[in-house]
Amino acid sequence: MRWFDLSESDRTQTRELSRIADDVSERIIEAFYAHLLSDQTAARHFRGADHIARVKQGQSRYFRELISADVDDSYIADRRRIGSIHERTGVTPTLYIGSYAYYLNKLALEVQQQMPEAPEKAFTLILSLFKIAHFDMALALETYVDAREETIKARERELSELPTPVLQLRPGLLLIPVVGTLDSYRARTLTVQLLEGIKEHRARAVVLDITGVAAVDSAVANHLIQSMAAARLMGAHSVLTGLSAEVAQSLVKVGVTGEALNTAGDLQRGIQLAENLLKG
Amino acid sequence: MAVTVPILRQGSVLIASIQEDLCDSDILNLQSRILEDVIKCRAKAVIIDVSAIGVLDSFGTKTLTEIAYSVKMRGAETVIVGIQPDVALSMVLLGLTLRDIPTALDLDHGLALIGGS
Repeated sequence: MRWFDLSESDRTQTRELSRIADDVSERIIEAFYAHLLSDQTAARHFRGADHIARVKQGQSRYFRELISADVDDSYIADRRRIGSIHERTGVTPTLYIGSYAYYLNKLALEVQQQMPEAPEKAFTLILSLFKIAHFDMALALETYVDAREETIKARERELSELPTPVLQLRPGLLLIPVVGTLDSYRARTLTVQLLEGIKEHRARAVVLDITGVAAVDSAVANHLIQSMAAARLMGAHSVLTGLSAEVAQSLVKVGVTGEALNTAGDLQRGIQLAENLLKG
Repeated sequence: MAVTVPILRQGSVLIASIQEDLCDSDILNLQSRILEDVIKCRAKAVIIDVSAIGVLDSFGTKTLTEIAYSVKMRGAETVIVGIQPDVALSMVLLGLTLRDIPTALDLDHGLALIGGS
């Protein structure tokens, strides 16, 4: 709030506007909806006359609060709630800010017309109104961004929870295909699954195929190396296959050379290599 | 209480099966007895089974490594068998990788490894 330079005096100023705003808000909203419904994309958000009436009511309450409500935590929470509703129903930021600008413009014009004797006073009043309006918009936009980030996080979680199956190719030989993003968390789970798989299937060789992995950072590369070292402690050979050019480069950058790991160009050669290792 | 790990002789292979967590002096005791027995029994290999151990700390790992290297100098091979998944993971996280020492999943695989080599 400090950032927006909002103070109590701004609040008192905007409250002076409330008389004018209450008078004209209905008119502005009506005009605004006529404007809104003439726009094809915007009109699609409404399901009928009932819906429009309800939204209009909400809107007039919204503007009343904008002008006269106390700016406190509950106000902020409420604004965020409204923002998240907008986000969910697909009201784009352009539409939201456009609507806001429309309202502010109309109201500013009204104020100017109704206070011809004191244009300076009107100007400061409007400035205060703009402050709170911008504060409001910032809140709403943050809600948008938060919601998007939440969605992205959820997707990432889904990806990282993709199961990694441990397949037995033939007695003593396991294949673990890794698909998706390897982050540290998933690499750790992978290690545990690999080791448990070795124990369960009494495996003596494991082929880890990372063809489906787009990028490996140094932390994940370390996890992979640790997995393979741990597999060796359990008496199993491990072969890494399907390294993309990027992955190979990032492995070399963290100081891993092919000698420390048994690597093979593709899955077929990886399995052949594992068979050879099994034969001793 | 001191634990004495039995060292069994199976043909030309010595098998030391550690059945519970050992303290440092127990491990040192095991080390000296294995080195004695390697010559006494003309063993060609020593298998150390750690499958019952829940924690292998750096001292234990270091001593196991020492046993393996010194057994090698006395003309035999050492295989460490039965490292459990979580033990393997924590060992790797501590940077203990038993470099150059043969390992196997369990006693069975360990014997096969010796038979094959």
